[in-house]
Amino acid sequence: AAGSISGLYVLHKEGDHEDLAPQLIPLDYTSCPDVKVPYELIGSMPELKDNPFRQRIAQVFSDDGDGHMTLNNFLDMFSVMSEMAPRDLKAYYAFKIYDFNNDDYICAWDLEQTVTKLTRGELSAEEVSLVCEKVLDEADGDHDGRLSLEDFQNMILRAPDFLSTFHIRI
Amino acid sequence: MSAHYRYNRYKDDPDDPDYSGSQHRMQGYSITQDHPNVPAPMNNPDYPSTKRNPYSGGSRTSPDYPASFAEPDYPGSPDNPDRPSTRNNSFSAISRISPDYHRSLQEPDYMEFQRNPYPPGSSGQPDYPRSQKNSDFTYSRSTRNYADSRTHPDYFGSLGEPDYLETQSNTNHPGPRGNSNHSGSRRNLQYAGSRINTRTDSLGDPDYLGAKNQPNSPHFFGEPDYSDAEDYQNSPDIWGEPDYPDAENGHDYGFSETLGMTRGIPTRTSSIQPSFHHRGNGSLGILRGENEDYPENIEMTSMGMAHSHRHPLPGAPGKGYVNPAYVGESGPVRAYGNPPLSESDWHKSPHGQKLIASLIPMTSRDRIKAIRNQPRTMEEKRNLRKTVDKEKSKQSHRRRELNCCAQCINSISQAYQKSKNSLSEILSSFSLWQKRFKVIGGKFGTSVLSYFNFLRWLLKFNIFSFIVNFSFIVIPQLTLAEKNTLQFTGLEFFTGAGYFRDTVMYYGFYTNSTIRHGASGASYNMQLAYIFTIGVCLVICFFSLLFSMAKYFRNNFINPHIYSRGIAKLIFCWDFTVTHENAVKLKQKNLSTEIRENLSEIRQENVKLTLNQQLTRFSAHVAGWVVSTGVAVACCVAVYYLAEYNSEFLRTHRNPGAVLLLPFVVSCINLVVPRLYSMFRLVERYEMPRHEVYILLIRNIFLKISIIGILCYYWLNIVALSGEECWETLIGQEIYRLLLMDFVFSLADSFLGEFLRRIIGMKFIANLGLQEFDIARNVLELIYAQTLVWIGIFFCPLLPFIQMITLFIMFYAKNISLMMNFQPPSKAWRASQMMTFFIFLLFFPSFTGVLCTLAITIWRLKPSVDCGPFRGLPFFIHSIYSWIDTLRKRPGYLWVVWIYQNLIGSVHFFFILTLIVLIITYLYWQITEGRKIMIRLLHEQIINEGKDKMFLIEKLMKLQDTEKRANPSGLVLERREVEQQSPWHLGEHDAVPELRFRQSVQEDNPRT
Repeated sequence: AAGSISGLYVLHKEGDHEDLAPQLIPLDYTSCPDVKVPYELIGSMPELKDNPFRQRIAQVFSDDGDGHMTLNNFLDMFSVMSEMAPRDLKAYYAFKIYDFNNDDYICAWDLEQTVTKLTRGELSAEEVSLVCEKVLDEADGDHDGRLSLEDFQNMILRAPDFLSTFHIRI
Repeated sequence: MSAHYRYNRYKDDPDDPDYSGSQHRMQGYSITQDHPNVPAPMNNPDYPSTKRNPYSGGSRTSPDYPASFAEPDYPGSPDNPDRPSTRNNSFSAISRISPDYHRSLQEPDYMEFQRNPYPPGSSGQPDYPRSQKNSDFTYSRSTRNYADSRTHPDYFGSLGEPDYLETQSNTNHPGPRGNSNHSGSRRNLQYAGSRINTRTDSLGDPDYLGAKNQPNSPHFFGEPDYSDAEDYQNSPDIWGEPDYPDAENGHDYGFSETLGMTRGIPTRTSSIQPSFHHRGNGSLGILRGENEDYPENIEMTSMGMAHSHRHPLPGAPGKGYVNPAYVGESGPVRAYGNPPLSESDWHKSPHGQKLIASLIPMTSRDRIKAIRNQPRTMEEKRNLRKTVDKEKSKQSHRRRELNCCAQCINSISQAYQKSKNSLSEILSSFSLWQKRFKVIGGKFGTSVLSYFNFLRWLLKFNIFSFIVNFSFIVIPQLTLAEKNTLQFTGLEFFTGAGYFRDTVMYYGFYTNSTIRHGASGASYNMQLAYIFTIGVCLVICFFSLLFSMAKYFRNNFINPHIYSRGIAKLIFCWDFTVTHENAVKLKQKNLSTEIRENLSEIRQENVKLTLNQQLTRFSAHVAGWVVSTGVAVACCVAVYYLAEYNSEFLRTHRNPGAVLLLPFVVSCINLVVPRLYSMFRLVERYEMPRHEVYILLIRNIFLKISIIGILCYYWLNIVALSGEECWETLIGQEIYRLLLMDFVFSLADSFLGEFLRRIIGMKFIANLGLQEFDIARNVLELIYAQTLVWIGIFFCPLLPFIQMITLFIMFYAKNISLMMNFQPPSKAWRASQMMTFFIFLLFFPSFTGVLCTLAITIWRLKPSVDCGPFRGLPFFIHSIYSWIDTLRKRPGYLWVVWIYQNLIGSVHFFFILTLIVLIITYLYWQITEGRKIMIRLLHEQIINEGKDKMFLIEKLMKLQDTEKRANPSGLVLERREVEQQSPWHLGEHDAVPELRFRQSVQEDNPRT
């Protein structure tokens, strides 16, 4: 992982973080990894600003689940979202992103959230609930009415595009 | 864990205005007498002295840590009697003050609440040892302390205070209190303290400390990295367990804490000095100021430091952004209470230990992979690797004598890994068109991107082939260049004939002699070089194709059973690469239509087509196939006769432009017929869009490959046998023209055709709208061109170079056209599956066809008599035969002859090899079949387990219900715990659960 991480790090040094908050990030931020960049800035960076899941991404990768990120969080995020990251790791974090209420299961409510975010509320409530039902039907391996991490990973295995789409280019 | 949580909850509360307010009040009234003792001015004089230490030392790595650490009193005994002496050492001025100061901290809980009649003056020294040793005396008190809210402010206070010296004296708190939670949690707080030190001394940035020293700033606690192992040596057991009933434990912790603390003193004092005033106040009771003061504190600290690094920090609070981050989370409180923190120490937990144990025996590569697979933060991974390496080195120490050889290999492999990593890093930094890819991905998503990816991949392929050919064929030939007598007009660029005929571009120009410079120089046999270079190039292409194909297959066809309708896939495969605002909106819209379509399909699933409809549909499909095949065959026949006629025509007329007729016609066919094919969908109406794409692909590839096939037949059977002078060069020229014409056509298509289409779609026929990028057709064009290049590489070694240039230009042309004329695809495209399919197509009809053609050329055809490296030989392959014959005469090379005779030239060997490969394939096939059954069984088992789980949960609920009915009070506590946990989870800060918590503690304690 070292290679990709340091590659990211260099990238990071050149642009992203400093563009976000030139006043906020000290020049030698390498030595103070505890400076946090607030979610407002993270969410407005070009890679994320139009992503429907930007808030979730920031929350999942921040220390406290509030979206404020340190340098390390930031690097973690891009290492997971990079091309090199292994499938299971990506699946794990995707699961966390889709698990809106952080209860370690994707339940119907989480699914509804996901669908509304994905479709910008274009589907009617009935359609949304039908979609959720279908998804649970398809992916819920142990029939407990919600998706566990295993269910999710199992389903992701069948979606080969996942690897290339769960990826943020920098 | 419930206790732990509760504690967290409790810790949360100082955030609340009321809480801190009350705290303030309490403290204020309880320690009024301390006011004079604590003030900053008194402490100031000595702080600078400590401060000077690291600075004068010249190195920011704080050389004074070891110093204070080394002081015999500190680590050895946390007892107070020692401390003053140390104090005196470092802070010469305030030995007087220190006990008082102590007291100011201690008092709120010790003096006041415990009602222990310790005389305030002596409090500093004698009590602590006593209380520490005296574990039983604490017990009753501890309960009360714990229950009392006022204890806590003090905790905070002591933490919030810049000088840990005093807090240190608190080390005995855990002991005397004997309360589980306290000791455990305090421990954590101390962590924070000690972590500051490690941080600082590893980073060595005093300025940084200023910011870090906020106990409230979440990083301390939230940060998962306890980089210094020393500090948490004894932690594993502390963390995981919820309670420490015995005071002895507390004692231990006290000890280790002291260690941590001692190390903490110098830095803290040194850096905090300017802001100490604030803090001092805080300890006196202005705790409410905590939040608001922070930014200020940072500012003051860093300003006061007058250090070169100062500038960033003042900026930070000024920005106003930091404040939410710092204040909003308010410090140790939340971060402390967060599960990530307890997770952060995960590798000390049993699970983590197990993981470490499992990692140790692995090879370094597997280990790296396994660690990379862990869903942890980078710091944690780094720590994990460090821990594992440490463990490993510990183990290997024991075995070192036995296997220094293995060590050697290990270090070599590590070095190799490192160099490989750095190499890949360098390569990735050179990766072509990174920015453009990002833009394309952002606007059009992964599916369109896959086309450009494929293009780039082919470009790399061609660059490689070009480098190999250029260095091993062209450069040697250039060293004995003859003068080119042909005239250059410019038309040659299109025809490839004329002037170019006598250049390194074509086969005919190469010599068959052995190149030797100087009498003693090494000789270079051009014949062998030519055949081997081309051969090696093709072999490498073969393997890289094979491996990338295998990789794609592995990634994309892991699971044998694929759902027919993947609505889940639609939902969970949002394309994160798309970043353009409009593209995102469009994608969301497309996705919702697709979901709707999918739903309607599900709803109408049972609606069956009537027999009549089925018949018409079937006949439409058949007609489609018949027509498309007919068109393809007709095209082939036309091309064949045209080629034959054209050669007749060229013999009589010597117009140099006439040679362009055949490539023009072929390119026209390639342009028109695929569009005709895609019109078929209006008639055929496939149910699944995927089927439509696949069928279109199959038809197109059939057309293109059969055209190339017929051309190959024409070249090998007619041109090669026609007795023409230098027929290899003629074929090379023909391929060059085809390639060039194809390139011109695609350029014209992207700039004219697609542009016109956009104008029509926008201006004239509005309901056509913007077109979508046809990935399949474009990829097939690439495959077609690449096939031509591979065939031509033998006749025209510089063809990869030409293809390189055309691909390079094509990339920009397509990119511009895409940005101008297209809209993102509306259907979710299975991009990665398509990539697999494309590479498979590139491998199967295209590359294997090329291999066959070249094999026939080399084994069956007679090279032309007067030109080229193989002139005068009966077959191309005879160059190898004669080489083997010469080797036979040299005794040193007999092994080459042996290999040739027994492996390459032997039929038996290939027969046996084929048999073995077939057997292995069969075995693997059987294994896969077995695994499929296994997967099915396991799947069933998962379902059963789920049912079991649901059943058990139901049963448990029922049981609980009955129990509750029977004993309504018994479960009250439990419910409370749940209630306390949940608001904490959601991060709400309200005082109510805290009250409840106190009650529950009171209830709890009598029980214990």
